[in-house]
Amino acid sequence: MSNMELKCEKESTNKTKKKKSNSIEQVRYGCALGAMHTAFAIPRVIPICHCGPGCVDKQTANIAFYNGFQGGGYGGASVVPSTNIYEKEVIFGGEDRLRELIDATFKVLDADLFVVMTGCIPDTVGDDVGSVVGEFQAKGLPVVYAETGGFKGNNFIGHELVTEAIIDQYVGDYDGPYQKGLVNVWSLLPFHNTFWRGDLVEIKRILEGVGLKVNILFGHESGGVDEWKSIKKAQFNLVLSPWLGLKTAEHLKEKYGQPYLHIPTIPIGAKETSSFLRKVVDFAGIDKEKADNFIKNEEKKYYEYLEDFSDFYAEYWWGLPAKFAVIGDSAYNLALTKFLVNQLGLIPASQIITENPPEKYRAAIRNEYRHIADDVSTDVEFEEDSYVIHEKIRNTDFGHKPPIIFGTTWERDLAKELKGFIVEVGFPASYEVVLSKSYIGYRGALTLIEKIYTTIVSASA
Amino acid sequence: MRQIAIYGKGGIGKSTTTQNLTVGLSEIGKNVMVVGCDPKADSTRLLLGGLAQRTVLDTLREEGEDVDLDYIMKKGFNGIRCVESGGPEPGVGCAGRGIITSINMLERLGAYTDDLDYVFYDVLGDVVCGGFAMPIREGKAKEIYIVASGEMMALYAANNISKGIKRYANRGGVRLGGIICNSRKVDNERELLEAFAKELGTQLIYFVPRDNVVQKAEIHKQTVIQFDPDSNQANEYRSLAKAIEENKKFVIPKPMSQKRLEEIFLKHGLTDKNLSAV
Repeated sequence: MSNMELKCEKESTNKTKKKKSNSIEQVRYGCALGAMHTAFAIPRVIPICHCGPGCVDKQTANIAFYNGFQGGGYGGASVVPSTNIYEKEVIFGGEDRLRELIDATFKVLDADLFVVMTGCIPDTVGDDVGSVVGEFQAKGLPVVYAETGGFKGNNFIGHELVTEAIIDQYVGDYDGPYQKGLVNVWSLLPFHNTFWRGDLVEIKRILEGVGLKVNILFGHESGGVDEWKSIKKAQFNLVLSPWLGLKTAEHLKEKYGQPYLHIPTIPIGAKETSSFLRKVVDFAGIDKEKADNFIKNEEKKYYEYLEDFSDFYAEYWWGLPAKFAVIGDSAYNLALTKFLVNQLGLIPASQIITENPPEKYRAAIRNEYRHIADDVSTDVEFEEDSYVIHEKIRNTDFGHKPPIIFGTTWERDLAKELKGFIVEVGFPASYEVVLSKSYIGYRGALTLIEKIYTTIVSASA
Repeated sequence: MRQIAIYGKGGIGKSTTTQNLTVGLSEIGKNVMVVGCDPKADSTRLLLGGLAQRTVLDTLREEGEDVDLDYIMKKGFNGIRCVESGGPEPGVGCAGRGIITSINMLERLGAYTDDLDYVFYDVLGDVVCGGFAMPIREGKAKEIYIVASGEMMALYAANNISKGIKRYANRGGVRLGGIICNSRKVDNERELLEAFAKELGTQLIYFVPRDNVVQKAEIHKQTVIQFDPDSNQANEYRSLAKAIEENKKFVIPKPMSQKRLEEIFLKHGLTDKNLSAV
């Protein structure tokens, strides 16, 4: 690795752009086509990929396999049909091949909805995918399309291209009354956020607990396409993430007139979760008393466990870390930082956001970190290149205790080097096998605490 | 709003014809937008009085996606709205993808307002890839006019382009509205074009005579109607505009074989003087 000089200009206006390094080592996201995971995260929905050979394999091997070994489920990974484009289709166009594949797919695969997605090649050579898919839509077949050529951005960008395609082409128009208490949740990026399955289950559980009816949209507790069809009837949309989902919520506001509530911090632990629930209940205008009872009950159970835990936290003789670093996508980054500072009393040493959020959202994200607690303010940096990130961490002052790093597999060697601890919380998490574990909400926080301190105590043996 | 795409052999006079006819339309009170779909970005020179136009793709490259529409759309002569897609220099990149990106951006920025009567897409000559068919995808241009002359290669190109049009017409709403002849003073040009159009299943919607005032106006960076409003040629363009405005004949073209095209040339492209030489 060579020493690279970074020229950084202070971002005084929106127009000033920071000069980036020339390369990205150890990538932290997929391409826009990687949003095929968004499709097969919905029960009984299958993406059909119009792309080169290998694209589907690469995206799923990275995002769904070597990231928690999650597997593709019903309609993902090796199930996904692909046109496996060949030079012929580059020169002569791939529409015929796509038509052939969609036809065959309807004969062989059983799904409630197919989402045709494009890779770089058809988007470059100008295949009119909308027209081909339109032929099937005209016959009343359940298929939509999204143009997700890899060069459009990463899989975060691709995610909203897919959600909007399903909304515009499948959910349909609506002029009727909304259903009070029904909320659409736009939160984590399925598969990419390694613990999304357990996390969404917990989010659904707590929102239902306070009396809402929840369209969780993705994962095993989603009602699939029927649930998506009821998106239009919801009273409001909840964007539960620093920025992902805002574009979709704006679109829904325009299309169905639905208001949305934006809560950037995904709640971990009782303090944040109770505050989150109260905000949502307020916005929805539902029964506060019922909600409060649920919250009180959850808090009671939560703090009982924390009470047990406090013996360890106070009495463990062999040292616990005080300062932490969080390296990962903004959703988990913000959620963890808030929890670690507010409920575990740890000190933030370095926070680095890695998924390249669009410029226009960054000021608001920075603001969240500046107000992370009543008495704690910290900065956050936006970096994608692992070389740069690791250099920053090496040069961070963690005090005289070993650092605890919340990051990814890419940080494992760094943690060893700094004689610190590593908890893998995001893509890629290749040393975790994840099924239903969650780190979110009331229950997830307890699991997270277990994970953190197990990592620490087992490092000595 | 009528969305119209203009195709035809490179250099045949698409941009010149489009700009001149749109001025004719603006004179009868129509709100027009001209979208240049050519990396040369020279589709609106006569309307804007020069090539100063900021292209959509240059803007995207330099400023990003969040720009105001008036950054890339300028009002030209008679208030005609002008947009240039732009694209790569010759020999690099992919201009077709550029057209796709540019038109998507226009849609996103809300360029297609309800008060527009006409949108003209001036598309580069040789439709070499899918990107250049972007203007005739579903939901965009419904009418196509091919500019041609009596020259062999112009008609060969027109026939070839019709194959692409047929493909899109068969599965969507786009139709061929007619052939516009941009005369080169070829022998029997009008009969030849009429026979060609008939064979293709369409009509010769207008025959624009050759006139030097077109060149003079171009050098002055103006359309003929602006440069010499009382000239014959200005009136020709006004009539062309009227023909387009009133046109009701829209078809799916029937491209012909090379053999058939050559037969038409043999039959109509030669006067009595030359026939004896055959």
